[in-house]
Amino acid sequence: MKHKTTLLLAGVILLASGSAKANWAEMISLSGSLESDVRFITDNWRGAKKGQGYEFEMNRNDINLRLRADPTERVQAVVDTRLRFFGFNEAATLPELISRERIDPFSFQLTEAYVAVRGVPWSKMDIKIGRMIQTWGTVDMFNPTDNLNARDFSDPLNFMDKVPNQMLEIDIYPTDWLTLQAVWVPTFKPAQLPPSAVLGFALEYDDNGCVAGFPAPPLDADGRAVLGSLFSADGPFGIDLDLCRLNFANPEVRTVMPKAGISNSQAAARAKFQAGPVDFSLSYYYGRFKFPVAYTAVADVMSPGGKTSGFVTDSKTIDPKKYNVKYVAEVMYPRMQVIGADFAYSSDNPWVPGFKAEAALILPEKVDFGMSAFLDGEKLDLGKDPANPMRTITSTNGSGKPFVKATVGVDWSYSDIFYINLMYVYGFFDEFNDRFGLHHFFVGATEFKFLQSELQIRMSSVLDMTDLSAMIYPQLTWIVAPAVELSFGYMHFFGDTSPRDPLDFATKSRFGQKATGRNVAFMKAKVTF
Amino acid sequence: MRLRTVGRMLAVVVALAAFSGTAHAETAAEILVKMDKTVNGFDDQFMDNTMTIINIDGSKKSYRFSILQKGEKRLIRFSTGEMKGMANLIEGAGRVYAYLPGQKKVRRVSAHNMQQSFAGSDFSNDDMAFTSWPGNYTAEIKSQDDNYWILTCTAIPGKSAPYPAAEAKVKKGTYQLDAYTFFDEAGKPIKSFENSDLTDFGGGLMRNKTILVTDLRTGHKTQLEIHEFKVNQKVPDSKFTQRELEWGR
Repeated sequence: MKHKTTLLLAGVILLASGSAKANWAEMISLSGSLESDVRFITDNWRGAKKGQGYEFEMNRNDINLRLRADPTERVQAVVDTRLRFFGFNEAATLPELISRERIDPFSFQLTEAYVAVRGVPWSKMDIKIGRMIQTWGTVDMFNPTDNLNARDFSDPLNFMDKVPNQMLEIDIYPTDWLTLQAVWVPTFKPAQLPPSAVLGFALEYDDNGCVAGFPAPPLDADGRAVLGSLFSADGPFGIDLDLCRLNFANPEVRTVMPKAGISNSQAAARAKFQAGPVDFSLSYYYGRFKFPVAYTAVADVMSPGGKTSGFVTDSKTIDPKKYNVKYVAEVMYPRMQVIGADFAYSSDNPWVPGFKAEAALILPEKVDFGMSAFLDGEKLDLGKDPANPMRTITSTNGSGKPFVKATVGVDWSYSDIFYINLMYVYGFFDEFNDRFGLHHFFVGATEFKFLQSELQIRMSSVLDMTDLSAMIYPQLTWIVAPAVELSFGYMHFFGDTSPRDPLDFATKSRFGQKATGRNVAFMKAKVTF
Repeated sequence: MRLRTVGRMLAVVVALAAFSGTAHAETAAEILVKMDKTVNGFDDQFMDNTMTIINIDGSKKSYRFSILQKGEKRLIRFSTGEMKGMANLIEGAGRVYAYLPGQKKVRRVSAHNMQQSFAGSDFSNDDMAFTSWPGNYTAEIKSQDDNYWILTCTAIPGKSAPYPAAEAKVKKGTYQLDAYTFFDEAGKPIKSFENSDLTDFGGGLMRNKTILVTDLRTGHKTQLEIHEFKVNQKVPDSKFTQRELEWGR
């Protein structure tokens, strides 16, 4: 298979080979950047435990290198890499202190690595093969039609990074006003989540060290009533909502990954049109949602003095005086088809703002959530679905009905002094119309520039109009010298850290929940070369 | 004797010819067309430049970029500075696209962005997109001396002139545009351009190598130095497409 791919690639390049360039210096271009990023947590209430905070969250240094080779006018090879040093010692034991990798941990990332061939086999056709990042859609950042690459949210301050993937791209340019594009992505890659994502499934503890809250499963009202009854006085645990009587081990979340078969590959096509002041495109995507959707959950409980089930509890952590609970959840990546449309309007009149809009009709796979509970190794009869013993409480977590995600925006600037961008967003990146639903957002960004743009003050904010949580992100950027930028800023989240109803998945606050991240102040330096 | 007569006759013919040349005084419109032909009158042109932004306190910063131009179409690529990798495609008035390397995306630039400065310099995006004097301005001769015509230019309504009025200093004989100033609606001077260091870029291709732009409201200056200037390279139209913008990313 590898040989066939290599031969195919070689054949395509051979077909494209035109006049070779005279020397390597003409052929190669190197660019990149050096970035340093220091962040300090400015809260002590959004961590895993109360009181954690007021410390450095990040001390990162990145070296980004992009090498482009143009051996002929019709062939291009690109290698884009990132060497990232995390800046925090991870050596926790004496033997680890002999390892530089533990004291100064780093990762190497291959952001892009592809070969592009122009005009093959037809003058109006380009082919690209390799590891790439695609960005579809006309609106800024919140692109519901942009589904080929998963998002990389490993940095909560960066909404634009993506997880690269291997793909084959064919672009056809039949006329000046039409571009056709088809992309095939053989394998699935999920979104990279922020470090705070684990807090979405973490337990809450009160000042006495008792469990104060646990991740709510995506259940309907009937299911929540059944779940609540487990903890009532006359429930099987009989704890009368006294969560101090629970010894709750940290929940475990497993992912159900699609197999690497061809049926799980992704395909997409797009037609881009230019019509006077309007650019628009129509697109189709077949693949999977890249963020995890809750699928199953099992709660295994051992009563005081009861039997261990073996599956759930670790004998070392068992408290014989309490109800010992282990919660194991599964998440999956549902299939979806996306029919998309987007446009950008640009007036000749400088006083008229630019308009952009993008909408995606999503035809999703139905996701049935199932939850079961065991007490002392015996499955509890929760009375919902006796025909299905492993999914006693069932609830639809994704109806399978088509839904729409959309973004509409305007932007306008006055000379070099002022820029404003306003957007209405229906459905955030990770929203899939599951039990959490789709929220309405207002996104605003304003920028003031001074001293010939050397000094820029930017304020970005996102308001969740559904639950009234929000984030603000003020930033000051100083271009010290050409190619040298210093940035200072702050990100703050508003909203309840706990759901309004502890058993209701849908009452989590979009930006308030701890899984969103910490409030941080940051300082960044970047040199581009 | 005969030779003397022939010589005198020849002298008269030459003098008459010279007189007839000056007798037909060129109109402002003709001068504007010839000047534009000197500046923009190529099938295509390529310039590799260093742009130095000079602050009022004298501090400087420089960026390198190239411009490929054919008719109204331009492709601008930055090769240094924080904008390295960025590219602008100007397909025509109101049709401007930018390749944003951070987003790996081609984005249509709205008209309001055209008022912004070009990379923090004293050139605006409109200045960079301005490619035809006779297509955007009518001209009148304000004054002239032995070396220069001074033309007063007025924007043609409905066209894409970057400013309402301009004054252009055109060198007699070469039709080089050695200086020009743009004015606002009230007639106040906004920006001046001084072109100097006329250089042969090969094969008699003459061009002012240095352009000094001064924002007359602030005193801020930008100097453009042309390192390489090539014309009539038979650049195909396909170089001015989004395909090219993506290809060069």
